[in-house]
Amino acid sequence: MTRVTGEAADEIRELVPDVEMLAQRLAAVDYLVDEGLATSMFLSLRLPQPLLLEGEAGVGKTEAGKSLAAVLDTPLIRLQCYDGIDAAEALYEWNYPKQLLSIRVAEARGADLREEDLFGRDYLIRRPLLRALEHPGPRPAVLLVDEIDRADDDFEAFLLELLAEAAVTIPEIGTIRATHPPIIVLTSNRTRDLHDAVKRRCLYQWIDYPTPQREVEIVRRRVRGASETLAVQVADAVARMRDSDVQKPPGVAEAIDWVAALSVLGVDELDVAAIDRTLGSVLKYSEDQDVIRAAGLDELVIPR
Amino acid sequence: MTPAAEPFRVRTLALDLPGVTGAFSRRLHDAGVPVTVERAAWFAEALAVVEPISRRRLYWTARAAFVSDRMQVPAFDRVFAAVFGAAPAEDPSGPVPAVPETEPAPANEQRRSSDSLDSPPSGATRSDASTRQPAEVTHDEPVPVLASDDEVLRSKRFDALSPDELARLYRLMAHIRLATPARRTRRAERERHGERIDMRRTLRGSLRTAGDPIRLARRRRRVVPRRLVMLCDISGSMEPYARAYLQFVTAAAGGPGATRAEAFVFATRLTRLTRALSSRNPERAIQRAAAAAPDWSSGTRIGDALKAFNDRHGRRGMARGAVIVILSDGWERGDPALVGREMERLRRLAHRIVWVNPRVSARGFEARAGGLVAALPHCDALVSGHSLEALDEVAEAIGAPRADDLGVSLEAPEPEPEEEPWPSATPVPGSSVAMPSGYGPSRGRTTPGWSLGG
Repeated sequence: MTRVTGEAADEIRELVPDVEMLAQRLAAVDYLVDEGLATSMFLSLRLPQPLLLEGEAGVGKTEAGKSLAAVLDTPLIRLQCYDGIDAAEALYEWNYPKQLLSIRVAEARGADLREEDLFGRDYLIRRPLLRALEHPGPRPAVLLVDEIDRADDDFEAFLLELLAEAAVTIPEIGTIRATHPPIIVLTSNRTRDLHDAVKRRCLYQWIDYPTPQREVEIVRRRVRGASETLAVQVADAVARMRDSDVQKPPGVAEAIDWVAALSVLGVDELDVAAIDRTLGSVLKYSEDQDVIRAAGLDELVIPR
Repeated sequence: MTPAAEPFRVRTLALDLPGVTGAFSRRLHDAGVPVTVERAAWFAEALAVVEPISRRRLYWTARAAFVSDRMQVPAFDRVFAAVFGAAPAEDPSGPVPAVPETEPAPANEQRRSSDSLDSPPSGATRSDASTRQPAEVTHDEPVPVLASDDEVLRSKRFDALSPDELARLYRLMAHIRLATPARRTRRAERERHGERIDMRRTLRGSLRTAGDPIRLARRRRRVVPRRLVMLCDISGSMEPYARAYLQFVTAAAGGPGATRAEAFVFATRLTRLTRALSSRNPERAIQRAAAAAPDWSSGTRIGDALKAFNDRHGRRGMARGAVIVILSDGWERGDPALVGREMERLRRLAHRIVWVNPRVSARGFEARAGGLVAALPHCDALVSGHSLEALDEVAEAIGAPRADDLGVSLEAPEPEPEEEPWPSATPVPGSSVAMPSGYGPSRGRTTPGWSLGG
């Protein structure tokens, strides 16, 4: 991994001198972290190494990357991975319509057009990876490679090479080397094991569900105007759902959605009727709703 | 970083950093956490930037540097506690509570005597020479023409095999080709009659003809085999078959590249073996697999195992569109209703479910085992697989198209195989090329004036 050097590194050091400062700054952009996550995010900035985040869906993995970009006040460049993603969609593609047009225009004008002209930087469509490499600074961009486990392993290998070198070679142009190697955050839902080579190059952090107290804080920061009572009750109900026998336990994202839905409906205190109306915003499988309904919705609001 | 860098300072806590780092990483390595020199260096570097003011901070710093998978956390916690004192239990948002290494296997009723030939009980495997096979199995034998011995072996029931025969069996099993049905990916590859236009290559080619794209290069979506997931029952009732099936699973999991299967075993709990089986040496792979599963020959909880599979792996994507093979006799200690429920869930995720039951071959077989009765409505095929010959049926069932797919081919209908002089002007199903009106696909007709630019 090429090092961030000189001014950029100094600036980052100034911005986040220690773990506490990073946690504070993340909190200022409404992302609350526990010590483990704060430490690994701090290290990924300062060492610097790519950071691999794993955890259940909806615990805030993607949000971590976004918040990091907000703290550093640099652009977030996001690459959403999916089955079959390839270099043309992740790195670069030539702008064919523009090339064709240029050929026609050159023809009409009788101008001289060489192949090199057609394959120059003007005709390059920059996809996320290339944009992250070409980011001009002053601070490095944050590159969020989201759900890397959904891409196939060929792509993983390709990505690895790029990350290790912080440079890419385009046959027609030559090698493009990053002046400010991006800060890389990878997320995975563990649908498959990542290759050891990827893991070896990354700092690793497993993000767990937050404690109920922490969840109340998160929810209240994300849904302005939600009453504290409601937030506490929802955090408690969601924790019970996670303990129960549901297929897809609700994440923090679902808790936030739920509180938002309840707030819009003007609910200040959770009761059976309110849960009944809004259950779909927190449990997304009908089987899961059946499980919870069968156990009794009032179970969710009984104080422990 | 090192004390030597600060010769005039009082030596403080940073006393013997390289030493501590070295010792710590060595102990981590011994505990099974894969430690590289690189990671040890990260740790040292991390300590320099983090300043471990508390044990908790030290814990998280070390964990970020050394741990690369959630599964390593319990081992890491133990080593950390041994080297630096108790892990930071006071932190409510702290580490995942350490999972005990082995859960006591519940209802371990009437464990069969372990002198029976083919069960590798977990503890004894490493040293037990009787389960070890001659090394010759693994190398220097080119594919032989099936000798008469092998013919006998092919039709012999797995529960009647001697350890020697089992060892020979592996070689034969490795030749069974398991090919799952194909699925289309989003990735495209070059194809003369593909459904999409490959702009990059078309443009490249057009430079040869003064910028007129005369030949359209095409691509089509690549077709890859579906994932194969094998779930093997290793409970007491399956004991006579367990060793042979484990070999079968090993052969499948050790297959080349994309056809490599995901492997699990279960009795009272579910154990993922894919990692353990990834060794190139099949004998070692089988031993590691046997050691990895703590519940050999105990009771069966198919429902719980399926639930664990669905929750932890299937729903996350492993089972989605995959071919699932379950090797079990369907004797269930738990609630058959749970088996039914979980099979239904699996059914919704998977492409195809094949149930392999060695007792199907028995005369007068009826599906009476509770788990099997509950599971059958959700299976696409029930095959016996009680001998090597019968495993061919399994391979066939794995490769068969799904019942509701019959007649509906996965592929778009192939275009006319004959060569067209103007392939670009031939409408291909699914292509988005606009045809100028009046120019039919009739063979031999030229299409003057047609070009992409108009």
